[in-house]
Order: sequence, then C-alpha cells, then structure tokens
Amino acid sequence: MNNVTFMPVNALKPAENQKTHTYTAFDAQQSFSSVLKQSIEKINNAQIQSDVMTEKLAKGENVDLHQVMITSQKASITMQAALEIRNKVIEAYQEAMRMQV
Amino acid sequence: MKLFSGTISTLEKALDYSSLKQKVISQNIANADTPNYKAKDASFKEAFQSALEGSMEANKSDIRHYDFKNGLSSAQGVITKRNASYNHNGNSVDVDKEMAELATNQIYYNAVIERVSGKFSSLQNVLRGGK
Amino acid sequence: MSMFHSMNNTASALTAQRLRMDVISSNMANADSTRSVNGDGPYRRKSVVLEPKEGQFSSFLNMAMSRRGESSAGNGVKVSRIVEDRETPTKMVYDPTHADANEDGYVEMPNVDPLREMTDLISATRSYEANVTVFNASKGMMMKALEIGK
Repeated sequence: MNNVTFMPVNALKPAENQKTHTYTAFDAQQSFSSVLKQSIEKINNAQIQSDVMTEKLAKGENVDLHQVMITSQKASITMQAALEIRNKVIEAYQEAMRMQV
Repeated sequence: MKLFSGTISTLEKALDYSSLKQKVISQNIANADTPNYKAKDASFKEAFQSALEGSMEANKSDIRHYDFKNGLSSAQGVITKRNASYNHNGNSVDVDKEMAELATNQIYYNAVIERVSGKFSSLQNVLRGGK
Repeated sequence: MSMFHSMNNTASALTAQRLRMDVISSNMANADSTRSVNGDGPYRRKSVVLEPKEGQFSSFLNMAMSRRGESSAGNGVKVSRIVEDRETPTKMVYDPTHADANEDGYVEMPNVDPLREMTDLISATRSYEANVTVFNASKGMMMKALEIGK
C-alpha cells in the first residue's frame, strides 16, 4: 500500500468562511423542472434521431444499417428508462400521499 | 445522466470503420484484374481519431441542421495502399491478401455487433428489473 | 454511399467477369473460323478492357469535401470496350484444298491460342468466385447487424 498522508486538521476551512446558499423550495422546483425538461428533450431527440435514420433507410439514402439499428435501439432503451423512472416516481408520490399526517 | 457509456460510442466508430473497410475490400476484389488500378485501404487511425480526441457536437436549433462530420465518411477514411507491388498490367491488388482481410473483417464486424448487442440487452435487463 | 453500395460494386464485378467469360468462349468457339464478320481475313481474337466505373456526383462531392482529397471507396468495375487483338500474328496452315487457301496453299487461321484462352478462363472464374465470396460476406454482415438488440 502506498504511503498514506493525512491532511493536517487545521488546513480545513472553518465552516463560517464558506459561502452559504440556502436552497428554497422554489429553487428545488426550478432545478427539478429544468432537469425534467432536459430529460424529456433528450428522449424526444433520441426518438427523432431514430425516425430520421429510419426514414433514410426506407428511402435508400446514404446510411449504414448498423447506424440505423444502434440509433433505434438507443431510442428504445432511453424511452424504456424514462418509463421506468416515471413509474417509480409515481409510486413514490403515491406512497408519500398515503402517509398519515 | 448518461445511459450510454463511452464504450458504446467507440464500438459505433469501430462499426463505421469495419463497414468502410468492407466497401474498400469489395472494390479492390472487383478491380483485381483492372489495369493500373491501385489497391485501396481504410484508415484505422482516422476512424478512431475523434474517439481518441473527444468530439464536439453541433448545437442545432432545428433538427434538420447538419451535424459536424465526426463520423467516418467514405471520402475521409480511404487511402491508397503503400508498399504494394505491381503486376504486369499495373494492378496492385493482391487477391489472396484481400480475401484474408475480408475474412478478418467479417469476424471483427460480427464480434463488435455482438458486443454492442450485449451491452444493449444488459441495459434492457436492468430496466426490466431482472425479471 | 448507401449500405448497398458495396453489393453494387460486387455485382458490377460479377457482370464484368461474366462478360469476360463470354468473350473467351466466343474466342474458343471461333478458333477455326477462317472468315470474320467484316470479311477482311480470319477471325481475330477478342479481349475485354476493364476499367473502374466512374462515380456519381455525390462521390465527387465527397472527394472535394474530404481533407486530403483522397479518392472514395469507388464504384465497381466495368468493361469499357471489347478490342480485337490485331498484334498477335495469325497462324498460317498449309492446306491447299481449303476454300480460303491463298495462291501458295496457305490458310490464315485465327490467332486464338487455346492454352491462353484456358488460362484467361481460369483467371476469370477465380475472380468470379472471389467476388461471390465478397458478396456473401457483405450479406452476412448486414444480416448480423439486423440482430442488434434481439
């Protein structure tokens, strides 16, 4: 095992010197909604890309077969992942709603 | 969150290279008797250049805009074989070597396809929760 | 360049080799023909001239756009013309009873050498078989690609 060096304790910054940013509920909503939006865009793009490739294949244009197969497979897996995540999120929400206050 | 790791994109480039090599080999064998035809080859380095350096993606505002040409077009990767000997009509194709390369390429392509397929099916397996 | 491009190249090679075999068989069939179609002497041996097929505009565009100006993977082969072999000398056979004998009794026979034709035939057959192997390989690869994700 290599030599393990320990940082001296006083090299750590004391807590009050760090910039604090309090996260409000609004911030959490914003970041969550933007993440959600980005994810949906990514899924949509994957599907569009797969459609573009498939159209090119059908029209006999300049595309390789393996590219078409891989793109369509990627779109399908992305969509499947999104569906599973949605299911889990809804489950979690329902679970949370069932909590007795 | 990136579902598809760097390995899959490397495998894709490998497939591009392999399919270009197939075209080049078929062209060489088709012209095995043509006078003054010089044998061609597919450049391995160019295929993986973008994989090694990392690639840029075009920021498109419309889906119909063209991507940056990172993929291996048929024009970029094709080079003329050096160290080739010529026979009496100026043709530099060695048919036996081309046939050997054809067999190798086939196995390479099949292997890469198997790997890609395996990666996708393992992702699907995970998504299905192992059922 | 579509994915069937490599198959088209191979198909063009198969056509070219078959045409070459047809020419060889025509030579063999006419190995004893003392008259030719246009009447100026015996049958002359024919041979094919192969050359790479020219591409369409898209391949030239690709060439221009590529960084090093290298050629594209190509477009197959074609038979550009069938030429008569006027250089190999014809054979003179002594046969005064022949209808086409000249004043000295010699008949001008075609310049077809069966051995050479057979060698050419074997070479054409070998090229044809090699191209068939290429075709099967391309097809096998594509069928395998169709199985991604299954």
